[in-house]
Amino acid sequence: MNSMLNLKYTTLVAILLLLAAGSVDAQEKGSVLIRNGTVITITNGNMPNTDLLIENGVITDIGQNLDAPRGIETVDATGKYVMPGIIDAHSHIAGVNINEWTNPVTAEVTMEESIDPTDINIYWALAGGVTTIHLMHGSANVIGGQNETMKLRYGGTMDDLRFKDAPRTIKFALGENPTRVHGQGFDVKPRTRMGVEQVIRDHFDAALDYKRKRQAYLEAKQRYDRRKRGTPPIPVAKNLRMEVLNDIIEGEILVHCHSYRADEILMLMRVFNDYGVKNYTFQHANEAFKVAPELRKNGAYTSVFSDWWAYKFEVYYSTAYNAAILNANGVKNSINSDSGELIRHLNHEAAKAVHYGGTSKLDALKMITINPAAQLGIDDKVGSLEVGKHGDVAIWSGHPLSIYSICETTYVDGKKYFDRDQDPDDMRIEVDPEVDFDETRYSGTLSGRDEDTCLRGAHILFDKNGMTFNEGDK
Amino acid sequence: MKSTQVLLLCLVLLATGLTEPRAQDTPAKAFENVTIHTADGNTIDNGTIIWRNGIIEKMGTGIQIPFDAYVIDGGDSLHIYPGFLDGMATWGSPDLPDQYETPDRPGEPSYERAGIQPQRHPSNLLNAKDSNLSGAQKKGFTTALLGLKRFMLPGQLDLFFLNGRQTGDYLFSRGKGILAKFEDAPGAAYPNTLMGMMAKYRQLWYDAEALQQQKSYFATAKGQYPAPLGDEVLEALVPVMNREQPLYFVVDTKENIDRLLKLQDELNFSLVIVSGKEAYARTDQLKSRKIPVLASIDLPEKPDWKVKEEKAERDTAEVLEEREEITEEMRIFRKQQMAAYKASVENIRKLMEAGVKVGYATNEMKLSDFRENLATLRKEGGLTDQQILAMLTRNTAEILGVNRELGGLQPGQIASFSLFTKPFEAEKTEIKYSISGGIISEFDVKTPSKNKENDE
Repeated sequence: MNSMLNLKYTTLVAILLLLAAGSVDAQEKGSVLIRNGTVITITNGNMPNTDLLIENGVITDIGQNLDAPRGIETVDATGKYVMPGIIDAHSHIAGVNINEWTNPVTAEVTMEESIDPTDINIYWALAGGVTTIHLMHGSANVIGGQNETMKLRYGGTMDDLRFKDAPRTIKFALGENPTRVHGQGFDVKPRTRMGVEQVIRDHFDAALDYKRKRQAYLEAKQRYDRRKRGTPPIPVAKNLRMEVLNDIIEGEILVHCHSYRADEILMLMRVFNDYGVKNYTFQHANEAFKVAPELRKNGAYTSVFSDWWAYKFEVYYSTAYNAAILNANGVKNSINSDSGELIRHLNHEAAKAVHYGGTSKLDALKMITINPAAQLGIDDKVGSLEVGKHGDVAIWSGHPLSIYSICETTYVDGKKYFDRDQDPDDMRIEVDPEVDFDETRYSGTLSGRDEDTCLRGAHILFDKNGMTFNEGDK
Repeated sequence: MKSTQVLLLCLVLLATGLTEPRAQDTPAKAFENVTIHTADGNTIDNGTIIWRNGIIEKMGTGIQIPFDAYVIDGGDSLHIYPGFLDGMATWGSPDLPDQYETPDRPGEPSYERAGIQPQRHPSNLLNAKDSNLSGAQKKGFTTALLGLKRFMLPGQLDLFFLNGRQTGDYLFSRGKGILAKFEDAPGAAYPNTLMGMMAKYRQLWYDAEALQQQKSYFATAKGQYPAPLGDEVLEALVPVMNREQPLYFVVDTKENIDRLLKLQDELNFSLVIVSGKEAYARTDQLKSRKIPVLASIDLPEKPDWKVKEEKAERDTAEVLEEREEITEEMRIFRKQQMAAYKASVENIRKLMEAGVKVGYATNEMKLSDFRENLATLRKEGGLTDQQILAMLTRNTAEILGVNRELGGLQPGQIASFSLFTKPFEAEKTEIKYSISGGIISEFDVKTPSKNKENDE
């Protein structure tokens, strides 16, 4: 017992030291040789009795009876499954604020500046084999803030958690959430689904107009400052919101759009075709199965729940076969959590696609690995076990789609962040000196799904009678 | 108005005796028979201090007191210390409404509704009835840099000599800096989140830049060019953009310090950190960027279980009983909680050791906690009395850029000091007199001093 305790203390101390070092050594990398497991490569089949070598954060070899380079830790995975770290394309854990819900368009804000690196949910997600998350802005606005793709380097600073060189992404939202918050709540456009479309079109047009004027100003300014002749130009101030909207149109920012109904999904694809926007993902997309061929035709991706619906009117027409139908129609689909609870067993969520729709095990696993990676534009770095890719790996006690399997160890960049054998009782990394033990034991999301986390922060607009909050002000 | 001009005006006011109608030639004032503690830690026993027109003339033992001087005998029991400077307090800031109306378009509130009012001056808005203005004097403060409550950019910072309800008449320097915070717009208005505020700070800079550009073109263009519209909010930011005025940014967590430094990299303003409760975690950055910290001493209470444990140390049986109930999880929690507590109380020492300049700011702390928290800094935070005094006086004066005039006790400096009934570090010491910009305030003290005649 005592040695167990010591072991736990050692781990804790190690993690605290890691924390202290976090600001110095950003994005620490590790090396490990995982021996004799069944390696689920995702892109190259399952390889039994195979070794996986990670050196300095990168997978350098996959094969049988690999030589262990000197000084590298060896882990025996005999009888176990080694799979790529799970990628959650829709998460709101580890965020400070989720919704800048005060305006229908807030493209200028970014979740990169709203990261809470101390959130215990990061550790709990690691315990479910998750290594990368897409920390999303909420769905209160038609065009919400930019999202942040993060690696779960628990104990690091905000900067350490960022997924280096991941493309920028942004949240869009259609349907009830933006119309409730802005239309019903504030009596500003959009009040209807038609209005949602118009908000997007108006803002894209304004952005293009801004870009033209801004460029003309900068050119005229350069000319005038050089020659000092003629009439000086009237300044057009740099506008952060408009700059980001232009980046979307130019394809530098990938759109992830909160959506449910088939008609609004079709609407957005029409809008994007008009403006030349490509490489986008419909999030939730409960009715996407109705328009799977159209999605496929447009090269659109989907990221869905396995079986979660009926939490508001627009989410009633739903089916547990959604993922399977999309997959069978050739739509690149992922399964996400949108929840601090679901994120801990995304393997079960993927397994439901096998259970309900008869999706192949490999395709189901792709939905929590390489497919979300593609949707985030990081599939050249993570999402499968291949030489040259990041050493983001989870070791499972059995096949990860089995209800009896548990995640035993999780590595990010070859560095171990979770080990079930060395799992101290309290893994928080920040404790308030003035708060009582009992008060802080659990954050509110220990069990059960969070209701509508996408609207976090905007709840003060609603009470149990609906939209009465703002009427008093008017 | 530049600070030197304000100082001159102030001294002229003092000299002409505006507040204290007297003859044109203002008589000197003096304390004799007192113990003088200078800012560098020296003491002068049985000393005399003489000032005239608000400026210290002489100080020492056995010096001659001018014939016209108004002399107070310290009765051998009073201790003079340089007046404490508060690097940022919101005393006298007008009360705020409980509720704010939702704007017609919450995403486009007015600057005022969004809490962006860098043009406001506390000196125009000061509520002199705030009892903290004299309350602070009773704690040893004679000068305070006052700002306005709440909001992202609530206004300018004006430096005052504290004189109770008359404080408003003793403005020393206007616009030492602009106060900035990560405080969102109240109610339903943009910006409502940290990320919203980050974006808003940037956008304000871009807008101010464009306005400046238009003004400069307007000045050089000969007609045919539209006059820029006046915008007092954006114009107030120009001195910060040009690094002529620092931002005094209230920030505590290490993550918010990171966010702030990122903004500084992009917008290139000079910076003073106010409060900085977790600044210990970013000492390298603060030192290399030469960012001083006006530190909060709003310290956490020691955890209850630890207090109990310390109390019970004399009673072994009780300790054992207590320990039996601790689970493994609780034990780890307590270990972490003590580490967090220690980090908080040692913040200032860590900063000083790392070579970061540390002054003092009350910020939103209750003045009633001042003495107790200083005692904690001494007992648990590893600071010496000398370090504490330096923080409250000289260091703060240096950070505010007024160390030639304030923060010490030297001939030529402004007469701002306090007379304590016992040495400053003693538990039950009280302020008998506060001299602020040369003006004497006298307070009732509860504890009888050795010489009862002086004790009214």
